[in-house]
Amino acid sequence: MPEKSDMSRATWRQSLQGWLWVAPALLFLVVFVYGPALTNIRFSLFSFSAMSLDWNFVGLDNYLRLWNDPKFTTALTNNALYAVISVTCQVGIALVLAAVLEARIFPDFSANLFRTALFLPSILPVVVVGLVWQLLLTPTTGLIDQILWETGLASWSKAWLGEPDTAIFAIIFVSQWQWTGYIMALFMVAIRAVPRDLYEAMEIDGASGVQQFWHITVPGVRETILIVTIITILGSLKVFDIVWVMTAGGPNHSSEVLGTMMYRAAFRDDMVGYSSTIATVIFFIALTIGLVQIKLQKDR
Amino acid sequence: MDARSGPALAVANRILLWAVFLTLAVICVYPMIWLFLNAFKTTNDMFAATWGLPKVWHWENFSKAWNYGISRYLLNSLVVTSATVVIELSLATMAAYALVVLNFRAKAAIYTLILGGAILPPEVSLIPLFRVMAETGLYNTYFALILPNVAFGLPFTTFLIRAYMTGIPGELREAALMDGAGEARIFREVYLPLCRPILASAGLISAMRVWNEFIFALTFVESESVKTVTIGVMSFAVALRADWGVLMAGLALSILPILATFLVMQRQFVGGLTSGAVK
Repeated sequence: MPEKSDMSRATWRQSLQGWLWVAPALLFLVVFVYGPALTNIRFSLFSFSAMSLDWNFVGLDNYLRLWNDPKFTTALTNNALYAVISVTCQVGIALVLAAVLEARIFPDFSANLFRTALFLPSILPVVVVGLVWQLLLTPTTGLIDQILWETGLASWSKAWLGEPDTAIFAIIFVSQWQWTGYIMALFMVAIRAVPRDLYEAMEIDGASGVQQFWHITVPGVRETILIVTIITILGSLKVFDIVWVMTAGGPNHSSEVLGTMMYRAAFRDDMVGYSSTIATVIFFIALTIGLVQIKLQKDR
Repeated sequence: MDARSGPALAVANRILLWAVFLTLAVICVYPMIWLFLNAFKTTNDMFAATWGLPKVWHWENFSKAWNYGISRYLLNSLVVTSATVVIELSLATMAAYALVVLNFRAKAAIYTLILGGAILPPEVSLIPLFRVMAETGLYNTYFALILPNVAFGLPFTTFLIRAYMTGIPGELREAALMDGAGEARIFREVYLPLCRPILASAGLISAMRVWNEFIFALTFVESESVKTVTIGVMSFAVALRADWGVLMAGLALSILPILATFLVMQRQFVGGLTSGAVK
């Protein structure tokens, strides 16, 4: 960061040059991200459909209606479940896995192989992952069901995606399957940046691997833990693809999340204003999370 | 460097850890193996034994899937992905250069504005963007996918490249300025070559993101001639509900390019996709 005085010493001529260099990027963000996001907030105050020119200003009615919509409660709950389970798996478990792989417990070759194997799901398109797991979870013909039959657990067999109690959990599970290995690889990079001699010193003192984890690894990668947690929570807020592919929010709206609810309102039920209201809620939650992140990073 | 074997661990713990990691590795990899094996079966074979090897290898599943439209979807994804990556890297590199070496008013605010885009999910802009696409005639063209993909990728890409550029010594630029070079020339001849590693990583991250992108593709295009592979396989899956073998062959084909690249260059892949993990 340049000194404050440098900034004020920048002449208009100099500034013009700087602005020209950032202008294209800024233009893209304003036209395709910020502008539409603000327009969307304005849309949320109207009631209208995509095809008609008939715009009714309804003030905050859409918000009131949303508040009383039971689907909204389900969606919010599901997003929250998604976030809690994802943070547990993708931050908690992934960090432990990364620490084990970096502790040289396995020979390098096997550690490398494990990392590659666990990383693999993250390179696949979410749609393909969703479709493949849909097939795997199909009752009777799917692999999961056949495993249950083979192992004598046939009574556990069920239509995981077809029942309201299990649908959202099956989806969240698939998401963990896909992303835990990726976050683990991120943590491995972060752990490698922690000075080795810290570990060696503790080892001489006879500390166990678990103690080393709590006293060196965790404080050493704090910054990464914070960022990954934020990314994971934001990811749980915007989740759409996997749900749309696997259940489209069903059965009976039990696996609805904000994203699918918003998409359905706009592009299936033609309630554009109402849909914009849901998108505005997403906008403000994202903004809050972003501000919390800035606050936490400043406190460091 | 040293011959340490890690913290002293009881044999039982060691065995337990091996068991845990082996199980996880199988759980992560097996679904893909299952997909590829079943892509060679008929629906009946699959009902009979979903985990066995195919009795007869039905290669025709793949040709059927290919002719069903996968080839076109792959081509469209290739066009959209490469265009997005090229535009995004160019704009991000220019912005990063200015943010690192030039002095200008409102620089901090502009950087915040660029980074801030990273917290906004596409959902918040989707409906107005859809209307813009419809009104400007961009709807159902490659541009309807390329432009928003560039915009939503810029924050993180700019962040990565900027972080890398701050590590390039400013003396290089000062020396070049002494020799009478302008900013454009310094950018092209000094910074771009030095930034090659981060451009490769950022390009890879961005390419993966665009290749796998779903919601824009679902909303902004509808013709077979522009559909990308993610949406393509969706319609494919709906059309082929009854023919699992061909469906799975199609899914297998759709991920083959990424999978093959990953397996050949897994070290660069993991390294590239995790850059930015530590600041």
